[in-house]
Amino acid sequence: MNRYFFYLILTNMLINVIIFVPKILIEYRYEGAVMGMLIAIPIGFTLACLYSKAITKFPGQGLPEIADKFFKHRWLTILHFGSIQLAVFSAGLITLVGFIDVLTRFINPEMPRLLLLSIYLIAIIFIIQLPTERVMYILEIVLFMNTPLIGFIVFKAFTSDYISWDSILEVGTHLFDRPSLKAIAAASYVFSGYANLVIFNRVIKEKLKVWNFVIIFFMGIFNLFTTFFIPIGFHGSDGAQEYLYPWISTSDSLRLVYSPIERVIFIFLLFYMSITLMSISIHWHSAFELFKGTFRKKENKKMKWIVLSAYSGCAVIAVMFLETILLNQITVYWMIARLGVEVVIVISFSLWARRQLA
Amino acid sequence: MKSAVNWSVAAIIVIGSLLLTGCGFKDIDKRLFVVSIGVDLAKNSSKKYDVHLKLAVPSGSKQQPNEFTIVSEQADSMSDAVRIIKTKVDKEIDFSHAKMILIGEELAKQKGNAGIYYWLARRRDIQLIAWVVVAKPTALDVLKVKPKSEQIPSNSLFLAMGKDGSETPYILPDFLFDFKMRLIERGLDPMLPIVEAKKELFEIKTTSLFNKNHMKLTLNPEETKALNFLLNKEQKSAIWARKGKTRFFIDTQKIRSKYKIYTPKGKPPYIKFDIKIKGIVEETSRKIPNTRLAKYEKEVEKETNKFVKNVLVKIQKSGIDPIGFGLRYRSRHFNENDWEEWQKIYPKIVFKVDTKVKITDTGLIE
Repeated sequence: MNRYFFYLILTNMLINVIIFVPKILIEYRYEGAVMGMLIAIPIGFTLACLYSKAITKFPGQGLPEIADKFFKHRWLTILHFGSIQLAVFSAGLITLVGFIDVLTRFINPEMPRLLLLSIYLIAIIFIIQLPTERVMYILEIVLFMNTPLIGFIVFKAFTSDYISWDSILEVGTHLFDRPSLKAIAAASYVFSGYANLVIFNRVIKEKLKVWNFVIIFFMGIFNLFTTFFIPIGFHGSDGAQEYLYPWISTSDSLRLVYSPIERVIFIFLLFYMSITLMSISIHWHSAFELFKGTFRKKENKKMKWIVLSAYSGCAVIAVMFLETILLNQITVYWMIARLGVEVVIVISFSLWARRQLA
Repeated sequence: MKSAVNWSVAAIIVIGSLLLTGCGFKDIDKRLFVVSIGVDLAKNSSKKYDVHLKLAVPSGSKQQPNEFTIVSEQADSMSDAVRIIKTKVDKEIDFSHAKMILIGEELAKQKGNAGIYYWLARRRDIQLIAWVVVAKPTALDVLKVKPKSEQIPSNSLFLAMGKDGSETPYILPDFLFDFKMRLIERGLDPMLPIVEAKKELFEIKTTSLFNKNHMKLTLNPEETKALNFLLNKEQKSAIWARKGKTRFFIDTQKIRSKYKIYTPKGKPPYIKFDIKIKGIVEETSRKIPNTRLAKYEKEVEKETNKFVKNVLVKIQKSGIDPIGFGLRYRSRHFNENDWEEWQKIYPKIVFKVDTKVKITDTGLIE
């Protein structure tokens, strides 16, 4: 059991609440979301397996180091790096914009968004420049502190008196509807934490054992069904799709009578603040390191700050122009594009790795 | 050199963040906290609603903590009313502690008020775990009640609903999120407890049942209790029965009920309820010998069967479904038109109730 690998996947599973996965799935609950999820599980899992198997054949090396040794074509390398970079960067960006929106909505509506964003950006920019190992350590600490408590909230949700199992089963009876591509793309996101292995393979010094994959498989299933069915249990099979953020409204529907704060929503958001921060940071760290890897020969200070300010600029523009509904629509298509890119990259890379090391 | 560059960058960021205009955070002493929201139908006015906000008045001394004021405004919509109420008070109105929503009885009986119910869920600052109740005679009357035992404004209602204080089978509390879900879930209709204002206390013992847009039926206390049995909400309850001339009460410790919908081909569909009750005799008008408890159990079973069935039929007659039979039917059928099917089945469905009672003992004395 390699815990670093596990953390990467776990972060993505936790963060799908912010990145509209439940919203997209619940929207298609009568139009093939259930079947879509059942199809997405093998797809996502296979991709995760193939890629992690392939990249862990180069223990302790990220993609830039591998490229230095083996990649011949310069332009192909740039294309390869560029597409991954774009994918992970945009994943972080969507999470960031989505979460800034959540924070302004629920925590402090009077605070300007850009101020909130700048606080986040300062922390993110600080973290992504750290060496990969240290980013991993921060991730470990954050997950270590937050995951048990989020697990507790999920447990409370499952055992609540107000969860309607009949509503959940009602959505379950739409199992045989024709699956929708959007639902498949959204559902497969829970497994795609492995994408950060492009850089974070540096900290994984051994080959992954079968156990890792078994655990990830079951956790993925549990996570996906929790994500999808708990909001339906609380807000009804017909009503759940009315909520903009189904999971945040669900956390507001829980009551912890004897906790310091009765409303779970604030505890939930508090945990997610740090988890979101780390999720964005590992995505952007991967993107940043890949960028550095592309121009390894000519690395310098100026370049670094140009890239970082470009990242911040993108975030500022995105926060300024992306309204929640627009962001939601963009995310739907982004999910599909992401799945496409993932399939191409994973298959080509794993074939290449197999031939290289045969 | 390197560290100098780093420091200058850090300094620029810090100074830059100072330039961003300050946040609009208001201190707690500049806020007024709403503890309950009440809505009535407006009387003698061209406006539609009469909105009341019960505001907790913070006080410095511990001697008089239970101070509140009620600010009212008549308007055609909730948001209008709240905007105008803001002009009547000196501080910012904060809804984040509004834990009770009272709907006047007359308003609840009227059609077409979904706008209000949705306004509550749409606002980000109103908790979804606020309780929703129907207020009788009006929301204002209930808001004005100040029980002697109450320490914080509206707290006695919170305690009654939250089951932290009193536990009774006559209250079926409902949260805002559940109310909203029931408003649109096909096959599950809303039900809200009715809070009646008496002089210095509340009486919460009846339940109002809604169809998808207005209140249709009121259950009396005994019927409320029966509904409680069927929904498995509160275990501590009491039932009474009669055998010959003996009238006796049972204090229940455990009530479990489950149901199943049967749709046999060629025969009328029916719903079978299984209720298991376990309890002790708490009061009796004549002596009950321990050796003959089994016979008394039978009597209770008969009584409960009849009573529960009557309640179920009464609910069915008015065409509403607070227990969620329709949803259960939908969830067990894979076809697309299960809801249309159910609408044809429900009016003519038959109820069969099977109760099993176990009297463990007769209390401390025989």
